[in-house]
Amino acid sequence: MSQSTHKKEYEIAIIGQPNVGKSTLFNILTGRKARVANWPGVTVEVHEGETDFDGSRIKLIDLPGIYGFSTISLEERIARNYILSGRPDAVIVLVDSLNPERTMYLAIQTLEMTEKVVIGFTKSDAAHAHGVHINYDLISKRLGVPVVPVSAATLRGIRSLLRTTIDVARGRAGRKKPLRIDYGELEPYVSSVESLLKQYEERMEYPIRWMALRLLEGDNDLYKYVRGVCGDDIAEEIVKIREEIKRIFRRDPAELLAKKRFEYLQRVLGDAIVRLEIKKGGFERFTRLFYRPFIGPVLSLIILLGMFMIAFTINTGFPLNILLDSLGMHDAASAVEEYSIGGLMEKLFSWISSWITNSFGESWLTDLVANGIISGVGSVLIFLPLIMIVSLFLAILEDSGIAPRMAVSLHGPLSKIGVSGHAIFPMTMSLGCNVPAILATRAIPSRSERLRLLMTLPFIPCQARLVVILAFASSLVSGYGALLVVLGYSAAFLAFAVVNKILYIYEKKKTGKKEPEIILELPPIHRPLGKVLWWHVWDNSKHFLKKAGTIIFSLSILIWFLVNVSPSLAITDNPSDSIAAVFSHYLSPIVYPIGIEPGKAWIIAFALLIGFIAKEAVIETLTILTSTASPQQALMLLGLTASQLSALTVFVVLYVPCIATIAVIYSESRSVRHTLATIALMLGVAYVAMLITYGLSLII
Amino acid sequence: MGAYSRTVVLEELPSGSRARIVEIMGRGGWIYRLYQMGLTPGVIVDVVMNIGRGPIIIRVMGVEIAIGRGIARRIIVEPINT
Repeated sequence: MSQSTHKKEYEIAIIGQPNVGKSTLFNILTGRKARVANWPGVTVEVHEGETDFDGSRIKLIDLPGIYGFSTISLEERIARNYILSGRPDAVIVLVDSLNPERTMYLAIQTLEMTEKVVIGFTKSDAAHAHGVHINYDLISKRLGVPVVPVSAATLRGIRSLLRTTIDVARGRAGRKKPLRIDYGELEPYVSSVESLLKQYEERMEYPIRWMALRLLEGDNDLYKYVRGVCGDDIAEEIVKIREEIKRIFRRDPAELLAKKRFEYLQRVLGDAIVRLEIKKGGFERFTRLFYRPFIGPVLSLIILLGMFMIAFTINTGFPLNILLDSLGMHDAASAVEEYSIGGLMEKLFSWISSWITNSFGESWLTDLVANGIISGVGSVLIFLPLIMIVSLFLAILEDSGIAPRMAVSLHGPLSKIGVSGHAIFPMTMSLGCNVPAILATRAIPSRSERLRLLMTLPFIPCQARLVVILAFASSLVSGYGALLVVLGYSAAFLAFAVVNKILYIYEKKKTGKKEPEIILELPPIHRPLGKVLWWHVWDNSKHFLKKAGTIIFSLSILIWFLVNVSPSLAITDNPSDSIAAVFSHYLSPIVYPIGIEPGKAWIIAFALLIGFIAKEAVIETLTILTSTASPQQALMLLGLTASQLSALTVFVVLYVPCIATIAVIYSESRSVRHTLATIALMLGVAYVAMLITYGLSLII
Repeated sequence: MGAYSRTVVLEELPSGSRARIVEIMGRGGWIYRLYQMGLTPGVIVDVVMNIGRGPIIIRVMGVEIAIGRGIARRIIVEPINT
């Protein structure tokens, strides 16, 4: 490009392989003001943000972390299409300073597509400590591309990266043409394909040489595109050339080309990188324990369990209060409960409620505000600290590099139910919220495993369902309350395991699939950055607060009206005359089998119906319907037996988690059938499990 | 390098051994993932840990990677004596 355009606004893409520190850098560059970009037809989360630099506005697009540009995953396809679309003015490719030999592969592939590239070497502050010394200038000279070392920890190089990127976008720095690697003995084949495509150059949207290479690598998407533009004859010719390579070299062309690229990379990096041997730290050796049989899985489970125990105790006093209680320290136990964050917040909300009623007098409006909105939103808000603490723990595991080691340790046990160690990430995330967990299944290489997980992950109780379980538990004598929590989680994981196993066996019979496989990178263990942890926590909290402020808030109002207004649209004090009651009577029979009398059955049925929208709403519905101040009082008033509570807990845990989860299952599977099947499966399993639980608890 | 070359599958290599990749057999998406992670013929792999069951931990180009046994069975290597 000869002309240098001095636009005021630039669109810049950031890409990098997984674990190179891309998200961290993106957040620093955009000052944490990113939002999820709404790309039509694309469900992968793409973040975009803006920053000003030297009078120019830079729009940054954070593309998903990928290893290369084949089209084996949706993420790879999206990143590739975006870069080829011509929209970005420049592309920042991030490379890990700790292992440039591998992570620069993506940079090389990008350079074959476009010349407008800047390479950023991340973690440059840590390179020396790890014994890696890099001659950035030499690499830059050899590739003809600006290379900028940056550090998210010390913020070194951030401004320089932006300045260089603008220079590249303006055409003042960087290459003038895409990179041409010499593919040696394969060159004649590449040029044959190139000359076939050249005849149609004007109608092609992509660089010819890049297309030729990708076609030889067996890119199906591109093949279909070329057949559309050039016709069947040309497409046929290309297939023939590919077959000839296979015949002569007895190798997959994709393998040959990848090998050539790595060899080229070796020539570029070879003497530009010096590695000094650094002794492995003690902690690094400790993490090897994760790979051991038995010790590994046990260690992982202890970490996960411990994490949730601590979070629960801080938030609700459970299970420490029960432990103290059983040791005879009753005062300490009730103090732990009372002064837990949840306990304190609950006090605050009931104080606000009564203050409103006292100062403004009793009217339908104060009732709406005090008993509808405040107790509805409040009963959900008290779980914010829990969400923050659990998010913090999950962020630590993820950012330190412990999480992938846990995946390896649990691969063995998990493959017995037909899922790989990869599934541990979405499974753990599910304990927080099912929606991001379902998005996280994209990293799973096997499509069939992924589809099974889309159906079964929602069985794993998210924090919203934990809210319900804990509320139910708090209405029981403490020892039984603990049992109820254990029951809820056991039922969930049992259902998850059994359903996965059944689907897996069925699939094995049908397609003869083998054991689940794992290919997972294990980044070096390192201390997580404080600010990155905070981002994770804040993002989750924000999501939760937004939900409490919008969905839960509107539901509280809606439910209050449904409960306080009669079908003839008059305000009524008696909930059993309300619209909700009249409507729910039709649904009541579903809870008759667990012995709930018709007079109360409609309340439960209505709460379960509302629970479809968001699970937390089950609790607020119960509180509003019984016009009580807390879930405990509501359940007390309903007079449910321990057996009925157990059965209901199991049902609440297992049935459809929320509307948002269903929506994301649909957008990920893009199949109405798959989505409906998931709903039917969850309802069926939940109902049967509820009946079994009730039956068993009566026997005990 | 050893005096003679013989090939085995990656799955059979004990912890601490080193080998050169000769061939990767099979097809499917996972094979492209291996290429992208730098596992191509000619590349040297170190076996960090192989305890006879569960994933094998290898090091390629300075990066540790866990690989399932089914895949490790399809990677043909030539051991290098060190």
